Amino acid sequence: MTRIEVQEMHFSYTEQEPILKGINITLDERSTAIIGQNGAGKTTFVKLLKGLLRPMQGKILFDGKDIACMTVAQIAKHIGLVFQNPNDQIFKNNILDEVMFGPINIGMDEQEAKRHSQNALAMVGLSDCEDKNPYDMGLSERKLIAIASVLAMDTDVVIFDEPTIAQDYRGIEKIKKIIRTLKAEGKMVLTITHDMDFVADCFERTIVFAKGKILLDGQTDKVFSKKEELSQAYLEPPHVTQLCNSLGYDKVFLRVEDFVSYVKSKGIENK
Amino acid sequence: MIHKLDPNSKIIYIFVANIAPALIGARMATASFILISIVILTIGKVLHKTAPMLEFSGLILLTVAIIQGIFHQGNTTVAFALGSVVFYKEGLMFALGIALNVINILMSFSILVLTTKPSDMVETFVHMGLSPRLGYVMSSVFQIIPQMTKTMATITDAQRSRGMETEGKLKTRIKAFFPLISPVVMNSLISTKERAIALEVRGFGSKQKKTFLNDLQKTRYDDIFRFVLILILILSIFWRVLIWLK
Ligand SMILES: Nc1ncnc2c1ncn2[C@@H]1O[C@H](COP(=O)(O)OP(=O)(O)OP(=O)(O)O)[C@@H](O)[C@H]1O
Ligand SMILES: [Mg+2]
Repeated sequence: MTRIEVQEMHFSYTEQEPILKGINITLDERSTAIIGQNGAGKTTFVKLLKGLLRPMQGKILFDGKDIACMTVAQIAKHIGLVFQNPNDQIFKNNILDEVMFGPINIGMDEQEAKRHSQNALAMVGLSDCEDKNPYDMGLSERKLIAIASVLAMDTDVVIFDEPTIAQDYRGIEKIKKIIRTLKAEGKMVLTITHDMDFVADCFERTIVFAKGKILLDGQTDKVFSKKEELSQAYLEPPHVTQLCNSLGYDKVFLRVEDFVSYVKSKGIENK
Repeated sequence: MIHKLDPNSKIIYIFVANIAPALIGARMATASFILISIVILTIGKVLHKTAPMLEFSGLILLTVAIIQGIFHQGNTTVAFALGSVVFYKEGLMFALGIALNVINILMSFSILVLTTKPSDMVETFVHMGLSPRLGYVMSSVFQIIPQMTKTMATITDAQRSRGMETEGKLKTRIKAFFPLISPVVMNSLISTKERAIALEVRGFGSKQKKTFLNDLQKTRYDDIFRFVLILILILSIFWRVLIWLK
């Protein structure tokens, strides 16, 4: 079972402006969403977990081991991060080669890398375009290629930064499926997102970042019931929850299906 | 405060600082302008930024001094001798003249370059009649460098996240070259195309005469500064005329 413990972590890019001010948190196998206003420090936080940035104070323990004594390449074997913009990483002119780059870097042999890469491409639904050029694909497909290239590394932890941006309904459903599969495989999944319906649908735990601190942390439906704190962090609950609130329901729903089945069973009038 | 001066005033300064000493024809005048430039750069808190440039030109000027000190045509008066090599006063003074002029030019241009935002400078040039297209090219060069560094940093992060080593032995660095440079090139090709379209839809290519977003802001200091400069220029012209009349 994978565990990441963050203890009293502080970070700033420049001396004048602290970005993270004392983060204490333990991440476990629950699928977790990280939400918060633009500039709250979410991307910075996951870059610290990846070792791309190093904390000014405090430490990060991966399965009890301080990552301060691991190189980025060593951490890469355990933690995968899918960046926001796929254009920042694609450089091969063949999709399979692109996806195999990571696995080979972390020491898999050619065959193992190929097997993992083909599995990953199957997972994102791009099996039949292995030999195409990534630049001939649209942005949403390139994003899926970037996801596959991290999945192929078969890390214990997979972090997504804004995976649903530039995806249509089908793309989002695909990403939801990927996350559920990873969860079923026993991997730790962390996702930064601004899409609250996506959070409600897919994640057991939600962490709210605000002004460099953790404002809320807990089971997703508990977090979305804290209206004041959410508005303090300039966040809105999922659309169904807003609808229930506007209708004056006592019971709060996060997912459309739950709401629909409740209404069907009770009738809309008698709440 | 110096930063707030209108770039035009600084251009006038460059002009006066280089013309007036030539009119007066005395080394003291050049030296005084160097001193004034140093004072202005100090007020603007950018004096230290001239150091690398001065070191470089200092090296060249030293060579000039040595060569002129030994070989200048009018050399007659011996200044000093290092072993068998004899340095002459005339040559050294000639080299001093060159050095003062070069440093004066460098310092007066530094005021413009170091205390003006590149975009303001370009805008001033466009006001003075430079074509907006050329102006855009100039200012995008200033923008593209920090932007490139930023994309480069993101790309490095992305590839390192995929387990790529970027530091250490030469071999690893060479291996890291393509994964790092290809996305940079592709990204800039993509953004160039998008930028061209974005500019065109906002009428950049229009033949109409363009207006300016920012009027050049002249402050009271600009007036005083320019007045003093013009005064110096007029006085030095007088001086020149007086010498001729004598
Ligand atoms: N390389 C950097 N140098 C200096 N400051 C930075 C750098 N990267 C980010 N910042 C600053 O750190 C703060 C947090 O940025 P971060 O990218 O972590 O926010 P975020 O929560 O991911 O926001 P978003 O939702 O917009 O992605 C911002 O104020 C940002 O301006
Ligand atoms: Mg971010």
